[in-house]
Amino acid sequence: MLICEQVHAGYGNVRVLHGISFAVQAGKVVALIGANGAGKTTAMRAISGLIGPDQGSIMLDRQPIHHLEAARIAHLGLAHVPEGRHVFAPLTVEDNLLLGAYGWLPRLFGFRRKAAQEMDRVMQLFPKLAERRRQLAGTLSGGEQQMLAIGRAIMARPKVMLLDEPSMGLAPVIVQEVFSIIRRLKDQGMTLLLVEQFASHALAVADYAYVLERGRIVVQGYPEELMKNEQVVTAYLG
Amino acid sequence: MNRTMILQMIVSGALMGQVYALIAYGFQLTYATSKSINFGQGELVMLSAFFSLTLINWGIAYPLVVVGGLLFGAVLGLFVERAGVRLALEQKSEGWILLTIILGLFGFSTAENIWGRDDRPFPTPISSDPIHIFGIGITPLEVSVILGVFAVMGLIEGFKRYTLLGKAFAALAADRDAAGLMGISATRTIMLSYALSGFVSAMAGILIAPITTVGPTMASTLILKAFSVAVVAGLDSGFGVVITGLVLGAIESLTSFFLGSGWREAPGLLLLILALAVRPTGLFGKTTIRKV
Repeated sequence: MLICEQVHAGYGNVRVLHGISFAVQAGKVVALIGANGAGKTTAMRAISGLIGPDQGSIMLDRQPIHHLEAARIAHLGLAHVPEGRHVFAPLTVEDNLLLGAYGWLPRLFGFRRKAAQEMDRVMQLFPKLAERRRQLAGTLSGGEQQMLAIGRAIMARPKVMLLDEPSMGLAPVIVQEVFSIIRRLKDQGMTLLLVEQFASHALAVADYAYVLERGRIVVQGYPEELMKNEQVVTAYLG
Repeated sequence: MNRTMILQMIVSGALMGQVYALIAYGFQLTYATSKSINFGQGELVMLSAFFSLTLINWGIAYPLVVVGGLLFGAVLGLFVERAGVRLALEQKSEGWILLTIILGLFGFSTAENIWGRDDRPFPTPISSDPIHIFGIGITPLEVSVILGVFAVMGLIEGFKRYTLLGKAFAALAADRDAAGLMGISATRTIMLSYALSGFVSAMAGILIAPITTVGPTMASTLILKAFSVAVVAGLDSGFGVVITGLVLGAIESLTSFFLGSGWREAPGLLLLILALAVRPTGLFGKTTIRKV
């Protein structure tokens, strides 16, 4: 579904990714783990088009996307839940969700009716958001904002969803909740690429995982294998 | 010197102030999406007024003239975006400042070459015989100004609040990256905001032209005052510009009466300087205006 081949990327003169290759099959959850500064977020940003990769190819559903801008890639069915959530703070929860579906909703009128079914689905998944429907997103707690960011991505009906550090800055209870949501998305057949610093959490839901170190993939394998790999255990699971 | 007369001046001034507010609103529209403003917006006001005058001279009916003028303004706005602003934004530079000023100058000399340097009357079917309410004379023309301003601002505010495309404006203003991830194209949204700001400028031109006459310099002081209003009100409050416009318009007309018409431009400039010194975010605003 999503294939990265020898992707190099960075910011300005700083190269962060030195040719990483990986693949996410349809319906699978793939985890990208690694320490701070390993290039996980950069990889996500390169895939979703927030930064243009310098080299390499990225294919979404057999279509090259590495030369496209973020908005185009979103229309092709990629939803990126960015690190730090990035909800639209001055807009209501409902508006945030509606904008998640910007790609397929009518732009002027009738969008509320069209989005109703998707909206109900999200509200069922996140009852908290239903309660806070008319509240401004900026007034939500960190955990609620994370739920909103994920809900917004679900609204897009994506082919692939990228989740960047969904547990960042959240209380342990909320982290549990977030991961139970991720598991539910997985059960519903969502294709997911998950970036996490808490490797144990990520490996618990993933079907396959890649370990990123200083911009290169150093180890890859099934979670069971990685959890036996001494290097990985001491560096990320210890 | 009686109370009615002072009231009269406050009312007429405040009405005029709504035109400043409308132009200031045009600044806000483009600032929201792209953090850039069109310094040549005054020339858009003037060019649209001239274009509308030409349509009138061709014998086209007034309502159609208004529609034509507004569309012309929107097209000019798009032109400014494409020919100037986009080039600068693509390079993440502040070059739009200079580019929009240059395009403005270009518009100015184009107007001089096509329509000449003289000020011309702008005939309109709307009467300028005052109607007296509580002793204060208001002309239907003045009423048309305020109605026009509110109609256009109401329309655009409604668009921003009640359509998904409009909400995308706010999303882009709030978080550019996240908006991109939702599939909101920054380029197209910025284009739309420039078209709308051109539309708004054209409305200002058509509304003010019957009162001030049409000439290449008709908007030069207007734009300065609109700028004061935008800075005082802040670049993100539509409500703020309306109030500030009312107040500035009223102060202006009182100043010109008590101190002489030579002092007419003083309050606007004073207000601008004060605002920049004391509260650069504007009275109603949240965004800081960067000093460049």
